[in-house]
Amino acid sequence: MGTPAIELKNITKRFAKVLANDNVSMTIGEGEVVALLGENGAGKSTIMKILYGLYHATSGKIFIDGQEKVITNPKEAMSLGISMIQQHFSLVPAHTVTENIILGNCKGKIDYKAKEKEVQELADYYHFDVPAGEYVKNLTVGTQQKVEILKALYLKARILIMDEPTAVLTPQESETLMQFIRDYVAKGNSVVFITHKMKEVIEVSDRIIVMRNGRVCGQIEKDEVATIDEATLAYKMIGHDLDELQMPGEEDYSKRKKRVVVEHVSIQPKDQVALLSDISFDIHEGEVFGFAGVSGNGQQELCEALYGARKLTSGKIMLDEEDISTLSVKERIKRGMGYVASDRYRYGMVADMSLSENMLLKASYLSRWIKHGIINWKKVDEDTETAIKDYTIKAPDHMISAGSLSGGNQQKVVVAREVDMGDSMIIFDQPTRGLDLGAINYVHKTILREKEQGKSILLVSTELSEIFSLSDRIAVLYKGKIMGIYKNTELTTEKIGLLMAGVDEKEEKHHEK
Amino acid sequence: MSNIINLLTRAFFMSTPLILGALGEVIAERTGMMVTAVEGIFLIGAWGGFIGAYLSGNLVIGFLVAMICGILVAMLYGVTTVYMNQHQIVMGTAIAILTTGFCTFFYRVIFGVQTTPLKVETLPVIAIPFLSEIPIIGPIVFSQNIVTYLTYLLVPVIFYVLFKTSLGLTLRSCGESPEAADAAGINVRQVRFLAVAVAGCLGGVAGAYYSLCNVGMYTSEIISGRGWIAFGICFLGNWNPVGALTFGIVFGISDAIGVYVKALGLAGLPSELFSALPYFLVIVLTVCRKQLKVPEKLGVNYIKEN
Repeated sequence: MGTPAIELKNITKRFAKVLANDNVSMTIGEGEVVALLGENGAGKSTIMKILYGLYHATSGKIFIDGQEKVITNPKEAMSLGISMIQQHFSLVPAHTVTENIILGNCKGKIDYKAKEKEVQELADYYHFDVPAGEYVKNLTVGTQQKVEILKALYLKARILIMDEPTAVLTPQESETLMQFIRDYVAKGNSVVFITHKMKEVIEVSDRIIVMRNGRVCGQIEKDEVATIDEATLAYKMIGHDLDELQMPGEEDYSKRKKRVVVEHVSIQPKDQVALLSDISFDIHEGEVFGFAGVSGNGQQELCEALYGARKLTSGKIMLDEEDISTLSVKERIKRGMGYVASDRYRYGMVADMSLSENMLLKASYLSRWIKHGIINWKKVDEDTETAIKDYTIKAPDHMISAGSLSGGNQQKVVVAREVDMGDSMIIFDQPTRGLDLGAINYVHKTILREKEQGKSILLVSTELSEIFSLSDRIAVLYKGKIMGIYKNTELTTEKIGLLMAGVDEKEEKHHEK
Repeated sequence: MSNIINLLTRAFFMSTPLILGALGEVIAERTGMMVTAVEGIFLIGAWGGFIGAYLSGNLVIGFLVAMICGILVAMLYGVTTVYMNQHQIVMGTAIAILTTGFCTFFYRVIFGVQTTPLKVETLPVIAIPFLSEIPIIGPIVFSQNIVTYLTYLLVPVIFYVLFKTSLGLTLRSCGESPEAADAAGINVRQVRFLAVAVAGCLGGVAGAYYSLCNVGMYTSEIISGRGWIAFGICFLGNWNPVGALTFGIVFGISDAIGVYVKALGLAGLPSELFSALPYFLVIVLTVCRKQLKVPEKLGVNYIKEN
């Protein structure tokens, strides 16, 4: 191999007190797919953002085609042929695909017709099904990602950095993406693939670089990639083994009592598309009911409906044989319903308040900690300290503000509170989003522990592996409808992928004919 | 008939500063900057315009001073919000109040306390040959002053720039998704700051219009909320120059009616009621207006992590 396309030498990056990258060196060759594997906070995005000019390295050097370069902003990176597709897309939703692609790369008067044609031709060349004249906000997340890729291709990028590209895709969309990556690399370009999913890493990459705590802690060379297994990779990533989860067996729940019954629930805002239509399911005692689906297909609305934060247009929700459809959130909390919201920053906690205050957040009217309207702080603090111990929350004491904890520990606080409140039912909406493997493992164990205690658990997740490893039964949500309810063992990744994309089994059979 | 023509002529005359101010606001708000200092910019424009014109005896110098004053106040607003990340509404309101005191105080410092207000000649009407002789339309549209003509010319120009050029795409992207603009290599803060300065320039001229075209003098009540009306017109016009023109004329008419009724002195009806017409209209129209296409990041400062 000659001069690598990119060489990073001894890059160190410090944010105030945090050392995000510590003496990181790596090379990216022409025509190869390099995977950057690591947990959240391992520094993999940081190092790539330095290469892309979004961050500036505290020390270290960057060589492009053997020549030292200083990259101070993304524009310079792009002129060197480096493009980065970030986890949160940098698209303007209110503008068209064409406008997004030419933004910053055109001068003076814009001939929109000619530009649109040019963009459409580019999309067609790469077999991307992207309408150049459509507004970005009307596109699916998968298509939006293609727009991001087109943006890079329009600038003739030869090194494409993708930050967790498959996090938002259905398995089929991921497959298309992988196909594109292989085609693109075959043309002599390079791809850097940032991820924490070990399966895709093994599937697509030529070389794997593993990062941990801001350092490169292992490289798997070309000839080794084919033979490596996930357990070895996980060990390299987190530095210790993970606790194995027991897969749900084929337990028969039909004889157990139904704690939660949802009948024909619909939410239909006036003059708009229905958010939920005709949702019916039930959860038995001690059962985990999983909802799979691409995010934004009604999962949050469903959780909010159950929790009481959204009014039903029609339908009925029963908890322990009582109709709770019209009860307020407060009443539902009193009946033992816990809710771990998907966006903990918005719905789950107050960052500026102490852990004790956060524990009390939703229980301020329950008699346990309150007498005659006065808070028994001693009791709250004691209980918080217990929770810190029980959930191994990394916090010095109950006084510290929730915002100063790491994401995983914040989530543990929220989970501790909701598990405590949810005596009969707990809703977990994307409970492990953005957490690292260790914390994910802990949340999963908590879910299974609560299930053992006979609580009914509703689990919403976009991570299929999570759904499969925890749920007894699985429903797939697509555009606010249930595409089908299956026992865990009845589903394959392929089948669930089709359901997530809205392809009905019957339809599918119809097509086959 | 002639009454109606007079009224409409007056309406077009009165709509000019509102449209100008709203156009400046459209440009700035499209980049995400809510120029809430607009009332203060109008006032300092009226003040600076009058002082410049009175001391030099030249209206052109008056308008130039107004522009500079407007830009300076806008830059004060821009520096504190864009570069120092202060809250846009709080900062704008504070600056608007500050200018009120500033103008009153320095007017007295410069001219002392006058028993009769100092006056300048107002900007003359330029009747465009031939066109102004067209019946009805001629006197209404083509017998106005130069600022009005320029304002009406600005509408298609700004429209073209916003929606047909790369500069416009840049401006709009900064207001819709500064992150995306940043990723495309655009200096978001600079774009926003310059847009605010442009709004200050237009707002300064708009303010001077009241002192130099309308009454030919300066009083501290000369603007009395008209900057806020221009602010409202930008919203009502859906952040579109053509919309700003339309609603500018609507408010011009209501303003003219107020002045007209006051002059007639209709028995039984207090003239203040009609003076308040434009302000009522802002409330009523804003409440009635549906489906606003608000720039996504309007009023939100862009803070880049490094």
